[in-house]
Amino acid sequence: MTRQWVTSETRGALAVLAAPTTALVVLFVVPFAVLVQMSMLKFPPNETSGLTLGHYRDVITDPLNVKIVLTTFAMVTAAMAVMLLIALPLAYYMVFKAGRRELFLLLAIVVADELAPVVRVYAWQVILGRNGLINSILPGPPVDWLLYSPFAVVIALVTSYITYTTIPIYAAMKAIEPVTLEAATDLGAGLFHQFWRILLPLAAPGILVAAILVYIPMYADFVAADILGGPSSYMLGQRVRDVILEEGDWGTGSAMNIVMLGLSGIFALIAYRLSRLNRMAT
Amino acid sequence: MSSSTWRVFLTTVGAILFGPLLILVLFSFNDSNVLALPFEGVTLHWYRLALTDPSLHAALLNSTLVAIVVAPLCLALGTLAAFGITRFRFRGRGAVAGLVAAPLILPWLVIGIAALMAYARADITLGLPTVIATQAVCTFPLVAAIVGAQLFRFERIQEEAAIDLGCNRIQVLRHVVFPHIAPALAAAGIFAFTWSFNNYEISAFTLGFQQTFPVWVYSSVRDPDHTAVVNAVSALISAVQVLLIWGGLKLVRRRTTDEAATAMITGAAHTGARP
Repeated sequence: MTRQWVTSETRGALAVLAAPTTALVVLFVVPFAVLVQMSMLKFPPNETSGLTLGHYRDVITDPLNVKIVLTTFAMVTAAMAVMLLIALPLAYYMVFKAGRRELFLLLAIVVADELAPVVRVYAWQVILGRNGLINSILPGPPVDWLLYSPFAVVIALVTSYITYTTIPIYAAMKAIEPVTLEAATDLGAGLFHQFWRILLPLAAPGILVAAILVYIPMYADFVAADILGGPSSYMLGQRVRDVILEEGDWGTGSAMNIVMLGLSGIFALIAYRLSRLNRMAT
Repeated sequence: MSSSTWRVFLTTVGAILFGPLLILVLFSFNDSNVLALPFEGVTLHWYRLALTDPSLHAALLNSTLVAIVVAPLCLALGTLAAFGITRFRFRGRGAVAGLVAAPLILPWLVIGIAALMAYARADITLGLPTVIATQAVCTFPLVAAIVGAQLFRFERIQEEAAIDLGCNRIQVLRHVVFPHIAPALAAAGIFAFTWSFNNYEISAFTLGFQQTFPVWVYSSVRDPDHTAVVNAVSALISAVQVLLIWGGLKLVRRRTTDEAATAMITGAAHTGARP
């Protein structure tokens, strides 16, 4: 019986994986093939309109797009930096200091992510608005730049993605033997040295996983910027959505989407390779 | 660092994550249409308005319906995928694992747009079925990651032992594998349900003219007359979600060890990002 279980492996895999793989091919791979086709049609969705690479040229040469990419890069990178500043100590605390409260903290971070994201983003309006909580506490004329600004969008991005930044780093730190840190303390390494020479290198794979799970989706985020942003924080995700849904320009929109897909893929591959390299080196 | 420094840090993080929602709940009882201090007195007026809003009813019903279909669908597809990838060695295993991980890495916006194009190309009218189909294919990989993490912790030799002792495959699944992955299935089911219920991005592109709850909030947020009602509903929905998720995860936690519970949660993030 055991032998049969082993030798029929490929057939078994085929039977078990048939449904999920078919679903992925039909509803995930095929749509991307259609997307490629649309991005190369002169007047999509009209299939007889002829083929062109003009949409890609338009996407790359439009100075507005370049400006939007730069704004998005700045905001997303700022959010990522803030999240690392929060996630690294938080993960460290959960693994090495929390003791019995570790699981509670983990569940709290998960619950924070599972709350309705649109609502969570919107809630910041109550705090940052012209008549919001901060302005009603602060003396003097209301501060206007709190809401509908890059500042507000970065805050919303941080709260939206902090869970997926913290958990991979937590998982990586979980693999560190506490003895390693104790040994470092015994040998006289200060907190800074322990962090810089032990914790950070060993947590690096987790940071790279977090980068894949968080940095890529943030580039395409449009909820935060829609609800809390203004003209100065117009993001890439909003641009792609507007080109397709508002302007109805499927050719350019598809080409933009393909470019984003390609860049996401390249970034994920680099981060993945780095995390593997790092794992081998340590 | 001293314990008081840690306490300040944890309180700050907690305030950033949950503070806005708590304030939203507070303001939902405020007897004023403007989101501002001072507090004008306590009222349940906004809750009454919210509960009698027909467009909100329809949106909540749609979201619940979608999530009720998507969650079990994802459990089935995700468990099959996890089982296939962790239990069989075959050519192309890496490619299949990569394909299953891909929807977790790609932004929902990118997937949503591709889906919109494909539905248009195939002349399929947008509606709840298209939302369900695309959400399912984006969410079942999460289930696969959570269940896969649990299957991975579980020695295959135990299954083989059961077979040697005379179990057939159905019995192995029923008496050996299932009890082991049950907590993971419960956790994955909770995640799949909330992901589906809360999803805005995919719905925005594949829904057509109907509304789900996140889409309703989105359109109401821009309407200043609506803010107080949005606050009340959001407060209500968030409270229900916290209770359900927290209770569910506690229940899962009781059926398994701390170690397995953390592995399940971190496993989702871990295996999910292994293209």
